[in-house]
Amino acid sequence: MTRLRVVAGLAAMLTALVLQAGLVAPVTVPVPVSLPAVLIAAVALVDGPAAGLSLGFAAGLIADLGSRHPAGVLALAWLALGLAAGQLAGRRSVRADAAVVAVLCAATALGSGMLLTVLHADGATAVAALRGLVPAGLADAVLALAVVPIVRRFLNADALRPPAPLRELVLGGSRG
Amino acid sequence: MRRLTRRQRTAAIVLAGLSVCFITLDLGGGSLQSAHAGMRGTLGALYRGTDGVVGPARRWVQGLPTAGSDQAEVRRLQHEVAQLHGQLADRAANTATTAALQKLRLAADRGAYSIAPARVIALGSGQGFDWTVTLDAGSTSGIRTGQTVTDGDGLVGRVLRADSSTSVVLLAADPRSGVGVRDLRTGQVGIASGSGPAGFQFVPLDPSADVRVGDRLATGPTGSTSYVAGLSVGTVTSVRTAGDGTTTAQVRPTTSSTSLDLVGVIMVGGSSASSASSAPSGTTRTPIDPGSSDTVAQR
Repeated sequence: MTRLRVVAGLAAMLTALVLQAGLVAPVTVPVPVSLPAVLIAAVALVDGPAAGLSLGFAAGLIADLGSRHPAGVLALAWLALGLAAGQLAGRRSVRADAAVVAVLCAATALGSGMLLTVLHADGATAVAALRGLVPAGLADAVLALAVVPIVRRFLNADALRPPAPLRELVLGGSRG
Repeated sequence: MRRLTRRQRTAAIVLAGLSVCFITLDLGGGSLQSAHAGMRGTLGALYRGTDGVVGPARRWVQGLPTAGSDQAEVRRLQHEVAQLHGQLADRAANTATTAALQKLRLAADRGAYSIAPARVIALGSGQGFDWTVTLDAGSTSGIRTGQTVTDGDGLVGRVLRADSSTSVVLLAADPRSGVGVRDLRTGQVGIASGSGPAGFQFVPLDPSADVRVGDRLATGPTGSTSYVAGLSVGTVTSVRTAGDGTTTAQVRPTTSSTSLDLVGVIMVGGSSASSASSAPSGTTRTPIDPGSSDTVAQR
């Protein structure tokens, strides 16, 4: 992964966190939509599990430290999300990728909700996570339909494309 | 399906282990408190810095559901009449902000306390986590942890954390928070537990209390709640009596947490110990005092 690609990934993640808090969350309340989670899954579907798990962990830790819940919850959940999405990477249509993103994001939201329930021993969190599962999945799918093509275009741009590996020169045997 | 390489598997295990370590450290004590405070301050500054771009887009989208309603038409006609009579002194002033400030001023007059106006610049992550909003005013404006927040109509929440130029407010509707309330008709005291978007669930301390649909609830009694007493919390919409005689009621909140914009922090109580006390920076607000007649919020 090139340095430019890492910088672009971090910038995209900070932008997603700002947009999540300033625009997506206020507009979609009470449906728990997560733009950063959708972005992590979309990136992992293009770049594979290594990019998915590192981006998921970094973004999750930033979001954790900026929140009131224990640090590490979202880092763990989004790491798993990036890993799972990366393993499912392949050539698919945008709609198919959006469906994969939606299912994984909804499962991640449920998983993190359950983890928080265990940590806080609080039933209200589990109920909220279960109630939000279907609406969150549908809303994540709509969001993914917009995010997946943008991520694909950015990651396949010439400026961000990793350098092609050097090919070994094959020399024919010299005669005489 | 792609198979993980050995390095990827090792990295995943190490990072998962690190996450578990972070969770353990954070649950075990306050060793990550300074990291939390630093990141909150950084993100708060980021939210504040980008609100000039994100804020108008958010307000535009939030206004879409009522764009075609009669209410918008009434507002437009009222605006035209006001222009015709020449009674609108400052046409450039944001009418919504002015109305909200007037409402906060009325609340300050009624309660005889000062109110620091602030605008909501970010909302909590949701997803079963905290129901919080971030305000664009902090400890330099006199805001302290634990102070009550109102929108002029009723209770919004209380300040969870105050940094120098931003503060985080835990909404009263947070599923893990409870508010000490009083039924204004009967005087019965009880607990209103947050139910997220559904409002509150009111459980009177006296199981046989007479609670009826339409009863209005307000914070109180004084001294028994961490909120300022007398703020409207909501209206009872349904009452259910269990087999053992216990009464619970569903409460529609007075304030909608989805449409919060300009709010006021009531400058009563709060502790400065846990508030950030960094050097003054950013904008400071002049509190709305009950006595003064020409208070202006510096923006």
